[in-house]
Amino acid sequence: MKSYLALMKIDLKLAMRMRSVIFFNYLFPLMFFFIFASLYRARQDPKLIIRVLAMVIPLGIVGNGLFGAGMRAIQERELGVLRRYKVTPITPLPLLVASMVTAWFVFMPYILVVLSISHFYYHLPWPENWPSLLVFISLGLVAFRSLGMVIASTANNMQEGQILIQLFYFPMIFLSGATIPMEVFPPILQRMSQFVPASYLVKGIKDMISSNQSIGAEWELVVVLIVAAAVGLTVGLKLFRWEKEEKIRKGAKLWVAAVLVPFLIWGIYNYVKSKGAAPAQWPQQKGTGSLHRDNGYAHRPRAS
Amino acid sequence: MNTDSVISVQALQKRYDKVEAVKGIEFEVRAGEVFGLLGPNGAGKTSTVEILEGLRPRTGGEAMVLGFDPERQKQQLKDRIGVCLQATNLPAKIRVQESLDLFSSFYTRHVSSEKLLQRMQLWEKRAAYYETLSGGQKQRLALALALVNDPQLLFLDEPTTGLDPQIRLEIHKLIEEMREEKRTVVLTTHYIEEAERLCDRVAIMDEGKIVAIGTPAELQKNSRTQSQIQITCAAPITQSWPQWPDAIETSLDKEGRTLTVFSSRPARTLFEIMRWLDQQNMQLEDVHLKRPTLEDVFVELTGKKLRE
Repeated sequence: MKSYLALMKIDLKLAMRMRSVIFFNYLFPLMFFFIFASLYRARQDPKLIIRVLAMVIPLGIVGNGLFGAGMRAIQERELGVLRRYKVTPITPLPLLVASMVTAWFVFMPYILVVLSISHFYYHLPWPENWPSLLVFISLGLVAFRSLGMVIASTANNMQEGQILIQLFYFPMIFLSGATIPMEVFPPILQRMSQFVPASYLVKGIKDMISSNQSIGAEWELVVVLIVAAAVGLTVGLKLFRWEKEEKIRKGAKLWVAAVLVPFLIWGIYNYVKSKGAAPAQWPQQKGTGSLHRDNGYAHRPRAS
Repeated sequence: MNTDSVISVQALQKRYDKVEAVKGIEFEVRAGEVFGLLGPNGAGKTSTVEILEGLRPRTGGEAMVLGFDPERQKQQLKDRIGVCLQATNLPAKIRVQESLDLFSSFYTRHVSSEKLLQRMQLWEKRAAYYETLSGGQKQRLALALALVNDPQLLFLDEPTTGLDPQIRLEIHKLIEEMREEKRTVVLTTHYIEEAERLCDRVAIMDEGKIVAIGTPAELQKNSRTQSQIQITCAAPITQSWPQWPDAIETSLDKEGRTLTVFSSRPARTLFEIMRWLDQQNMQLEDVHLKRPTLEDVFVELTGKKLRE
């Protein structure tokens, strides 16, 4: 436990000392938040800021997971930092756990800031089920960091890591509704988006803020995220490498697919469930034109 | 394994794909000694110590370190040893004292980071980021990290490679202090003077094998390379000289003043030369006796220079 706490403490300090962490965790996503908010004219209708939140929060989670966990692990391995840890009695587990916990502490202030701006500036009521929302976001963060760590474990060097991460990152942000609203997608892309892991974040966050749903109502998404996180952590531990000289077999790269399996199964389940319905209805309700069920929060008085 | 052995290695082998890096070596390291593994790059030194540190699995043979099998009991072993790696790094933005506190937390026992910082002359730099340290300071920090769990056995893998001579001397002093504290040190190096100065015993490795093992003096004594005696007289030597005992080869320089004699027993040969010069009333200007160095022993055994 002593080593876990010491690693968390130092990871947090190191994160706060790096300008890139401050920029990519706070300034960059906030920039997107304001750009999307102005594009959607969110000041005119608080419902629209939910759409913005459902875009920028998943963007942050995916970026934090793939670049924060993935690239950092590769960098530390390339620089020989992990090699120094290897000669001590610690195992990879405290390193991975400390990295997860630190990421959570670094990411949560961003969530509080965007929710506060949404409330005070865009007049969005505070989410009634905020504990559920925070748990859901935390699960998403753990699942995507696990994915990032597995990708890092399968990359043999920085260059390979960058290619692999971007191969995952761009489809996720463009096909999940995190940057482009899903309604404008052609039917085939809407179908494809059901298999994109980040889509579940978009859907879950939107449902929880707009419909004040509890985490229990989103249990299917929660199970997918938990399974993905568990598989990711297990595979991440199995493939963990301390030194750049330890190369991974080509076939081992397929382990990345293992983390994606829960999302794939859930995508197939959704596909089968919505067969016969118009693709645009996934995951939104028919006729609402929005990506969520609206339980009438917009009719409540605005918080001042 | 002897009762005072902290390391025992038998028929140790390490293979990387088709390359056999370590070819069935055997040696023991006794408690409290500084044991050197000497050899050129690629000799198998680093592979050997990394197996003993529990960092790499062996392909064959047996190894015991502090009573632990480095492959099967690596966590227990790592808790008890200190390691200073050849190539390593720390996060750029970690402070010196933070790194010591962090590494202390990994071990079941540890010493005060303040004392270590003072001992390694890093106290003034305790709040400095790792990225701002000089090469010598980074190496002193690496040694401090190796001592953080107060180990009785230390592995120092080429601890002075790439450092300037002044810093190398500082590191040598620290290693001598470790010996005075009765710690066992396994030192790999390709600096001959480092091995001669610091090591109680040396194993010379080449192409995965140990080609000689013993104290530096024993290795030099057993060398077939002869000692060289050089005598310079005030005036040219015109007389023909006798066959001195144990002298193998004698030559005179162009000026005729400097006599070079190769001998297998230099003390006896030198005594006889001095007696002859005295009999000839020759005035002596200078005398040099050069014994074979470890480098000479290494060249004799392997046909290579150490830094090849």
